[in-house]
Amino acid sequence: MAAFDYAPAIVLLPFLSFLVSLGGGKYLPKGGAFGGIAATAGSLLLSAWVFLTVAGGEVYNETLYTWAAGVGEGTTTLTFGLLLDPLAAMMLLIVSLVALLVHVFSLGYMNDEGETGLPRYYAGLGLFTASMLGFVVADNLLMAFMFFELVGLCSYLLIGFWFRQEGPPSAAKKAFLVTRFGDYFFLVGVVAVFATFGTAKFAGEGAFPVLAEEALNGASEVTTFGFAPETWFTIVGLLILGGVIGKSAQFPLHTWLPDAMEGPTPVSALIHAATMVAAGVYLVARMYGFYALSPTALGIIALVGGFTALAAATMGVVKREIKQVLAYSTISQYGYMMLGLGAGGYVAATFHLMTHAFFKALLFLGAGSVIIAMHHDEDMWNMGGLKERMPVTYYTFLAGSLALAGIFPFAGFWSKDEVLYETLIHGLGGSPLLLAGYAMGLVAVFFTGFYTFRMVFLTFHGEPRSEIARDPHGVRWNVKAPLVVLGILAATVGVVNMVPVEKLLGISGIDFLHQWLDGGLEALTAHHYGDVLPYSSAYVGGETTTVAIGAAVSLGLAVAGAGLAHVLYNVDDPTEHTAKLGAIKTLWYNNYYQDEYQVWLANSVVLPLARLADTFDQGVVDGVVNGVSSVSLFAGSRIRRIQTGVVTNYAALLTLGLVALLVVFGVMGGWFA
Amino acid sequence: MTTKPSLRIGSHLLPGLAAVALFVVMAAAVLRASFGDPQMFGPDAEITASIGYAMFNLDMGTVPGEGMLVAFIIIAVALDAALDGAILLAKREEDGSAVALLADGGRQVRDRFRGDAADTDRDAEDGGDR
Amino acid sequence: MVPVQWYLLLATAVFCIGLFGILTRRNALLFLMSVELMLNAANINLVAFSAYWGNVTGQTFSLFTMALAAAEVAVGIGIILVLYRNFNDVDVTLAKEMRW
Repeated sequence: MAAFDYAPAIVLLPFLSFLVSLGGGKYLPKGGAFGGIAATAGSLLLSAWVFLTVAGGEVYNETLYTWAAGVGEGTTTLTFGLLLDPLAAMMLLIVSLVALLVHVFSLGYMNDEGETGLPRYYAGLGLFTASMLGFVVADNLLMAFMFFELVGLCSYLLIGFWFRQEGPPSAAKKAFLVTRFGDYFFLVGVVAVFATFGTAKFAGEGAFPVLAEEALNGASEVTTFGFAPETWFTIVGLLILGGVIGKSAQFPLHTWLPDAMEGPTPVSALIHAATMVAAGVYLVARMYGFYALSPTALGIIALVGGFTALAAATMGVVKREIKQVLAYSTISQYGYMMLGLGAGGYVAATFHLMTHAFFKALLFLGAGSVIIAMHHDEDMWNMGGLKERMPVTYYTFLAGSLALAGIFPFAGFWSKDEVLYETLIHGLGGSPLLLAGYAMGLVAVFFTGFYTFRMVFLTFHGEPRSEIARDPHGVRWNVKAPLVVLGILAATVGVVNMVPVEKLLGISGIDFLHQWLDGGLEALTAHHYGDVLPYSSAYVGGETTTVAIGAAVSLGLAVAGAGLAHVLYNVDDPTEHTAKLGAIKTLWYNNYYQDEYQVWLANSVVLPLARLADTFDQGVVDGVVNGVSSVSLFAGSRIRRIQTGVVTNYAALLTLGLVALLVVFGVMGGWFA
Repeated sequence: MTTKPSLRIGSHLLPGLAAVALFVVMAAAVLRASFGDPQMFGPDAEITASIGYAMFNLDMGTVPGEGMLVAFIIIAVALDAALDGAILLAKREEDGSAVALLADGGRQVRDRFRGDAADTDRDAEDGGDR
Repeated sequence: MVPVQWYLLLATAVFCIGLFGILTRRNALLFLMSVELMLNAANINLVAFSAYWGNVTGQTFSLFTMALAAAEVAVGIGIILVLYRNFNDVDVTLAKEMRW
């Protein structure tokens, strides 16, 4: 199919814009911006074409390039290839659309603000877009891992964009190191997959989730290193989960994301809201056939997700800077997605991934617009009253906030509600762990509503609290247009999967996302996952009742949180009510001291170990090498003394040699016998 | 008080033990070797007379001696060359400096080729450190 | 005729005496004399076997060696001259510049 022939261009076009910006950015008028916009627009068009082709029922799962061919029987071959199935096509569309909008927004945020070093910025954006798209279409785990690392690299480069200041390079280093820590386990997991299954392909004949399923059914044998297959698959799943937790900023590897806000806001919108942190969740969704076989791994995913959702939401309540609130909100929402995946709600989590990408990118870009207006002052207590002065930004931001808080009928309501619903019914079906996750997710809904609207009211409502807020800097079309596009999406994209409406009103067929993710390769469909999952569903008095109760409870909590924020902060001159929480506020403001704890770990545990390893390396390894060389030197310095320079000594040595030779020949030749 | 030359015995004779060892080894090898039956010259073989006869192309020698003639000629030539070489090496200039057998590392020859234009006072006068 | 081993023994003895001289003598001229001794030991060997096998070739060869020994001494004297000019003495143990 022609679309699939051009599919590699989806990844290569942004890569080309990276090269152009890197090589000739300083000669281009906008520092490479138009190249990036053209490339991402091209990728978007191609992704749309692929989407339409996949919608027609075609799937593409081909190996494009073998870069390490295994020799002989039963060896592994390492390849690059593309897997274009419904999930990938959907994600391609999301990533390329958000990337395009961020590129356009960057014209306003970076170019119009007179930033320097723009070729480096657009090169970084281009490389990131190419890497993320490459990750999305990867057909095997190793290729996914490579692109996973590449997006991490681009994140490092872009967070540290303003490297001449103190904060950004440190934040970039922290982001890289914390995610790298998780990626180490991911790498071990990839090797384990190769060692166990001999292949790392996600789909098709002999794909490793299929092999794992067959091994558990007893239909085939795989090497499990002495463990029972169930246990071993759990271990491998948890190893890969290490990378996911790092990349998607789940507890305990979430500490890098708030610091990553040191980067430019479009970067935060693209990387740390909509796409890179989505990579971890997307990976779990991609390999869901493998994770679904292991109840322990699923339980851990759900628990980590639920806990992160709640903890991050509490930390977001007391923050002063607008981007910090959004950062913790991102961590919290990805916690919901992990909760959904762990609870067996594959479609629900993917739906939340999609809606979150749109409304979080919208919120970040809106925050960027506010930051431009406030001359880069991010403290919300210096803002206020921007509603009248920045109407476009306000209404789009409000749309995003309603979606984030989960208010009907905005997108976030539908997706968050479905995640919680799936968790509830699978929890009632015999998994108390999921019920705990449900409870945490539910409490987090209240906090989400609260901090979201606290942010809105402090920023836009009330009276201006500073001079700049009274007279903000204007923003142009290149800032407002992406906001409008995303605002419309945040408001309307919920219609693709209005499951509660379907169930309550009895209309069937409007759960478009379910049907979409049910197509494609057999082993990757939603109903296949449903068959493999170890969960069963139970309801509180029937399915429709459970749907209604669940929706009502989550909506009620969201509205309650928003209402509390309205009472406290939607006044002309709000005060810092969070100070009344006292010690709890200190705890939340300091992020449960997780940052200090990790620094302490690095200093007390890792540094001594590193010193030990260094001593071993210098003492033992270098010592052996130096010892060998010292033997040679010592022997040389002693043996060279034979060369005395006196000719008669040499004659004496000659004679001795001759005598020895004659004796040897004589004994061997029988002269003296 | 008469002094007589005395043999110098000392540790400097130790390397000579190698020569003694070589003698022992070779003597042992030689004494155990067996040779074939001797085929000597006849009872009345006159070698020098045969060489003389061969020199004048007379056929009265008992031993074939033509091979010796070439040897004599070549020996004569070689000894002549050696004698001339020795004389050349020992030659001296008018002022007593050597002509062929130089002890200065070839500096005189080099300067003569360069036409005495180079700065000769840069070189050290003696032939190295002693 | 005397058994040929005695001739060989004599030649070996003369050779080893010459070798002893090379190994222990410090005067360059005595060094050369020892070298002459070694050469003559080889000559004894050649002539002895020439008589044993009744072959004139051995005597011819020994004539060659004698001539070449003489030529070699001529060159050797030249070398001793240079040695003397550099070190002001004919002691062979003085020339030890090319050492470690």
